[in-house]
Amino acid sequence: MPYLSVIGDSFRAAFASRVLWIAFIAIWILLAALAPVGFRLEYTTEFRAGDFYNGTRLKAMLASGTVDPKVADQPVGRLAAVMPDELSRQLKRVGEGDEVRIYLRVFADALNQCLEDEEWYSREAWADTLQFRELRELESLPEPLDPKLRRRRARLRIEAALPGVFEARSSQSVRLTYAGMDFPARFSTDRTQFLTLVNQYVLPVIIQWLMGFVLVFLGILVTASMIPEMLQPGSLHLLLSKPVSRGLLLLSKFAGGCTFVLLCVTQLVVGLFLIAWLRLDIWNVRLLLCIPVSVFLFSVFYSVSTFAGLIWRSSILSIGVTCIFGSICLVVGVIGGLFDSLVTRPASINHLEIVGETLIGSTRGGGLFHWDQQRQTWEEIFESNPLGADRVLAPVSINENQLITARVRGGRFNPFGSGASDLLVMTRENSWDGEPSMRLPASTTELHLAGDHVVALSGSELASVSLEQILDAVGAADTTGTKNAGQNESGTRGIAKAGWMQKLSTMMGGATEGFESVLPDGFSVNPPSSLHIDPEARFLMLYTRGRLMRFEREEITQTWQQVSEQSIDGEISSRSWLAVSGDSLLLAREDMPVEVYDATTLELLASSDLPDSISPVFVEGLGREAGFFLGTSDGLVRRVTLQRHLGSVQISEAVGPSEVECVCVDFVKNLAYFVHHVDQVDVVDLKSFERLERRTPQLSGWRLLEKYLISPARFITPQTGELGETIEAIISGKSAKTILDGPSAGEVVRYQLFRPILSCASFTILMLVVSCLYFSRRDF
Amino acid sequence: MSQLNESQDRENPEQSQGAVLDVQGLTKRYSGGVFKRNSIEALRGIDLQAGQGEVFGILGPNGAGKTTLIKVLLGVVKPTSGIAHLFGQSVGSVEARKRVGYLPESLRIDRHHTARSALAYYGRLSGMNATAISKRTDELLDLVGLAGRDRESVSRFSKGMYQRLGLAQALMHDPDLLILDEPTDGLDPVGRNGVRRVIEALREQGKTIFLNSHILQEVELVCTRVAILARGKIRGVGSVEELTHHLSSETYLLHIESNRPSECADQIESLAQQIELDTERLSYREVTDGQFELHVSLNERSQLDALVDCLRENQNSIQHLEKKRPSLEDLFMQLVGDHGGRTE
Repeated sequence: MPYLSVIGDSFRAAFASRVLWIAFIAIWILLAALAPVGFRLEYTTEFRAGDFYNGTRLKAMLASGTVDPKVADQPVGRLAAVMPDELSRQLKRVGEGDEVRIYLRVFADALNQCLEDEEWYSREAWADTLQFRELRELESLPEPLDPKLRRRRARLRIEAALPGVFEARSSQSVRLTYAGMDFPARFSTDRTQFLTLVNQYVLPVIIQWLMGFVLVFLGILVTASMIPEMLQPGSLHLLLSKPVSRGLLLLSKFAGGCTFVLLCVTQLVVGLFLIAWLRLDIWNVRLLLCIPVSVFLFSVFYSVSTFAGLIWRSSILSIGVTCIFGSICLVVGVIGGLFDSLVTRPASINHLEIVGETLIGSTRGGGLFHWDQQRQTWEEIFESNPLGADRVLAPVSINENQLITARVRGGRFNPFGSGASDLLVMTRENSWDGEPSMRLPASTTELHLAGDHVVALSGSELASVSLEQILDAVGAADTTGTKNAGQNESGTRGIAKAGWMQKLSTMMGGATEGFESVLPDGFSVNPPSSLHIDPEARFLMLYTRGRLMRFEREEITQTWQQVSEQSIDGEISSRSWLAVSGDSLLLAREDMPVEVYDATTLELLASSDLPDSISPVFVEGLGREAGFFLGTSDGLVRRVTLQRHLGSVQISEAVGPSEVECVCVDFVKNLAYFVHHVDQVDVVDLKSFERLERRTPQLSGWRLLEKYLISPARFITPQTGELGETIEAIISGKSAKTILDGPSAGEVVRYQLFRPILSCASFTILMLVVSCLYFSRRDF
Repeated sequence: MSQLNESQDRENPEQSQGAVLDVQGLTKRYSGGVFKRNSIEALRGIDLQAGQGEVFGILGPNGAGKTTLIKVLLGVVKPTSGIAHLFGQSVGSVEARKRVGYLPESLRIDRHHTARSALAYYGRLSGMNATAISKRTDELLDLVGLAGRDRESVSRFSKGMYQRLGLAQALMHDPDLLILDEPTDGLDPVGRNGVRRVIEALREQGKTIFLNSHILQEVELVCTRVAILARGKIRGVGSVEELTHHLSSETYLLHIESNRPSECADQIESLAQQIELDTERLSYREVTDGQFELHVSLNERSQLDALVDCLRENQNSIQHLEKKRPSLEDLFMQLVGDHGGRTE
């Protein structure tokens, strides 16, 4: 009771503060400014530069349609024919072999013009295109269509005509409005992206900036005087004469000081919550949890201000000391962040491959390493480069002594004619030194072993080449790509083209010299997609744009033919992962249940929801009965098993260590290798799931510095900056966020949910205990 | 004499046992400076007892240790050694503080309060419930004359109103011991009189009041017992009568008429030497032409006879002789004298 009255008194004191009312008015103005923000749903029709997955391919396809008379009556030719004059001239130059830079927005504008007048459309020409379910449904509707639906259909027709060019987008988009008017700048996104954007970025940023900086600073300015004022003799002696504990009196004053921020934060967060709910239709109760977190953040700084106020009895010194403390936290946080991004992250192994007895790991920093069992360390093959845009393709073992990989220079695409990647063959005897072999198709992102062939996923194409060709080309590789030109006589869709047509084909992500396209005509891989190829080349599983497909290779023609297909409900723009184990297939998608299908018929067998806070990061098949490993965004790996007799999917508790980066399964030895905590490896028995061995590599100089200096410093210093991640995690309800970078699945960054809370709570408690002891024992 | 009083108190265990306030051998040393080399001994073995219904005055020059003694009694400062109990409980304990009301010298109440909200706040801090607070607030506001201004912000209050509010908050939880530090500071004569009446009424109710005041007249009027502190030690303790009774000197007022006024001043100084009287203990002033008023403080009655004889021998006519009752101020000055404040 007496202590509640102290808190209540501080509450009244806060209300009596002019600064509080100024802060209130500022918050009300901000909320009033945000309140008119609204949205409306509309069909996704207009093209935007961000909709293009492979601009190079688009340029090449339209250039081909412009200059190649053979495709004039095909969809691509008909579209090319209606391009604006200027663009048409540029495409013609591209088709003639010139390197012409065309901005994606130019393409977007040109295609948007096509939405209005569909003179380019011909039912016969489009008959052979691959049409998705939505387009088929729209085509079946009677004419005349509503103008919006007509534009939507036109867009889908264009997408069908240009396979492999576009990112998968939802059929409906969100258009932001302000006071009923569309935003001046075109800003439309699909509903899922909109929710993610608002929940994971917009709201956290508003709350972090306003609360983390403005309100904390403002709060310290206002409350810093509370303790020194309490210590004034006429006030303190009277308080101390009351039958109250000194420690609790101080804590009550401290709690009372926090009410200032509580009052401001509550208004701001409740206001944002109501705007999100009433104006944006986002019901996110988690937003309200930001109130205690923000007050907690303030309490960290206020504990310092309280202590300084007790010692020096001066508001100015309290504010000064708190600012110095905040600066120290900031500096330590920035240095820690730099070490994370420049030292730890680049060293993280994101793919592991077993070559005979040797573990080969590729890192996020584009490095490649092999495990030296004798020295218990990762030996460098390619150096990790934290600042470089280069990446290394996940290595694939082709036999017990050799692997293949490639270094992709400069990031996302290999533009036509420059920087094309060579397949590298690495041999144990040669100390894993990479020897260039054949040129990979442009934009290759994945390599898969399929029997005696290697399949490359390049942009929207799958192309294969035999191991024999690869090994033959070692040492004799001609990086100009002209070697063996014309030697391919497979009669399928080989690349026996020459001159500018060869260039256009390469630009389109088509197979390069020696490679053959795998997918039948009309098929393309549209991201986000996932692929599984049987190492024995018996089948190929592909999920793209809501379609799950099984392909099998014909014995005679050695071509892959589609044998089954399943349309999958749900958001087609969600990222996906698939794996095959025995005769079942696991499909995991972001924000969707984990589903298990029959690997042959593609019938859905069972599904199970994942907790909202986690999302899939990788999946790995474990063999016939063992089920799957499902890596999740919380850094754990769970075992997924199909209970056929129950028709259900069971997801186990975490298996193996925490902070898992990737898992590699050795079916020969029945072992699983868990890479965790950057580059440590746990060897786990696949029958008992017990750890057999832990491989902890020796650390390099920077890593040692990080472990023994930076980490302890971050542990001691409260990580107030990382509380921003806690706020993000709370608002988004997720344990991690994905940073999409290039055509890969994206990098999952786990939110530091508990470390900052633990660090800040420990520090605050320590400061308060010291303050209470000082206040209790000191004569005043 | 102070030694005498202290020994008297020690020899009275019954009084000590029933004492509301019991302090024995209390010392307090403040350490300061680098490595705590500079230390100040604020209290040097204080012994005090105060019983129920007493109004106990504490007097002393600046720096004598009065504030430190009050702080010790309130538990604000911890004693270096010695014993200090309130109601049989150690000072500083929550139980002891529950029965104490305190009016600080420089009361400071946060500006966001009104008189009513301040009383409610301090009432709650004293463990009162809402009903009791509401009832008591009205009574006290009437008592201190703040009724009708109870909803004004204290930031508009005058020093006197502040002081009256402070007195009300000290009385809020009906404490058994009231420690008042300069309670009439800033009050006008009417206000002072009011405070005196409140103190007397409380004394009638059996409350114990510990009063620190610089206004000796006020202390003399209301206190049943007084302690005089100088340089951290009790120089005297007891009722005003007891203390003045034990004064070692007596003060006399003489009106004389001199035949030779021009020589009178010299005569007075020379006769002081004759009777071996310190000139500082003798003062005089000429009232009218040839008429003198003489104040003299004497240790022995024989000195008075000698003084009268000398005056008469020098042709002075003694028109009036009066023995003056010693005042608290006389006592204070005699006990404190040149001891002054803290000099350590």
